[in-house]
Amino acid sequence: MAGLTGLLEGAEQLRPLPAAAGRVIAMLSSDQPDLLEVAQIVRLDETLSLAVLRAANSAVYGVPGRSFDLREATVRLGVRTLSKLVLELQVAGLLKAEMSSFGLRRGALWRGALGGAIAAEGLASDHAPELRDLAFVGALFRDIGKLVIEVRHGGEYERMVATHLSAGVSFDQAERAAFGADHAEVGAALATHWGLPPRIADAVRWHHAPPPPESAGHDPLFDLVHTADLVCLWADLCVGVDGLQYRVSEHVREALSLTRRDVERRIAIVWDNLRAAEEALAPAQPERRSA
Amino acid sequence: MPALTPSDKRTADGRLVIGVADLAVSADPEATLITYALGSCIGVTIFDPVARVGGMLHFMLPNSKISDGKAERSPAMFADTGVPLLFRQAYALGASKENLIVCAAGGAEILDDDGHFKVGSRNRTILRKIFWKNGILLSADDTGGSISRTLSLSVATGEVVVRHKGKERAIWPV
Repeated sequence: MAGLTGLLEGAEQLRPLPAAAGRVIAMLSSDQPDLLEVAQIVRLDETLSLAVLRAANSAVYGVPGRSFDLREATVRLGVRTLSKLVLELQVAGLLKAEMSSFGLRRGALWRGALGGAIAAEGLASDHAPELRDLAFVGALFRDIGKLVIEVRHGGEYERMVATHLSAGVSFDQAERAAFGADHAEVGAALATHWGLPPRIADAVRWHHAPPPPESAGHDPLFDLVHTADLVCLWADLCVGVDGLQYRVSEHVREALSLTRRDVERRIAIVWDNLRAAEEALAPAQPERRSA
Repeated sequence: MPALTPSDKRTADGRLVIGVADLAVSADPEATLITYALGSCIGVTIFDPVARVGGMLHFMLPNSKISDGKAERSPAMFADTGVPLLFRQAYALGASKENLIVCAAGGAEILDDDGHFKVGSRNRTILRKIFWKNGILLSADDTGGSISRTLSLSVATGEVVVRHKGKERAIWPV
């Protein structure tokens, strides 16, 4: 059994988290993110500046017939939208690779991350508005453990886990039987390695099995990230060789009063909002030259 | 819904990739329609061996009534609006209802111990109801469980293949 230490040997080969992403996460994790500070991060990075300008002038955030410069775009987007945009732009590159370990095509891990972040923010808006930003960040990073596993095991991973799968056994249970740790725990370790706040690392750790209210480790943030992950699975976002072999936490279902109708409505909303977010983040199309 | 023409979706290797909440039809004998990683969503294929027309839908949810206005923007998101649209688009290319071979895959379920949500099985139930009401028989049905599936349809032969964990299996013809 390789254990967590064995799995984490892959972490050193990963690209580090961009410094700007770390700063934005620290701000979103505090109660008062600062627009001037985020704007400064954007101004100092030409790629970020162009991407923020493009997003602010896209159909999602823009106004037809008007073009915003960078200063106007910053003010128009506001600190929270701007921070999340910066984070998305910084993290997308890390998560877009193909994941043979989980049978995910190129881009699928990123879509699942962004879809989860959008779902978690929506859930938090309805149930715990003070957790909106943390839920967004926690859900965005929830599957980063798969990056480490990809580097360490690649396509062999599924075969190694499959020997421990049987009826009624969840994929994370099988991972623990095979390696002594699952991808959520590996992700939490990577989040710590990247210097993310401990509460975000814990949201990553517990996204498949949040501790119940009677336990010391309970945190409503983890319930939101867990539910966002389920919404993504139901929306066919980030479905790999692990399929849908995960459990719904009973206490979360009750705490968030989740009904079938509510879940179906959220699946539809997430999909729409994901398409809008992808449109805002899309790279600029090359300009056509007239003949 | 924006026009979804096969040329919009063709990959470098000639396959037409059908995304989530998406559909396409084709009369191009070179075309293979494919949708990846079906979980609780369902992929529906239709094929007319006489007109050589094929189509595929990847719908997410059973009923468009859960959300006002969404069906107008994304009819392929729902079974009750996506399935009729798939058939209408195939008819527009010359397909006939009496010739159609219809297959389905997906509809998987999370390990929801007391079956509270049943997103996958509700998708399966509504799909069967729609077909039953319209006198359509499923020629092949690979749905349920907790697995992910990739579904493809060859417009040249009508062959429908389901891929799961690297293994391919033709579900039509068998």
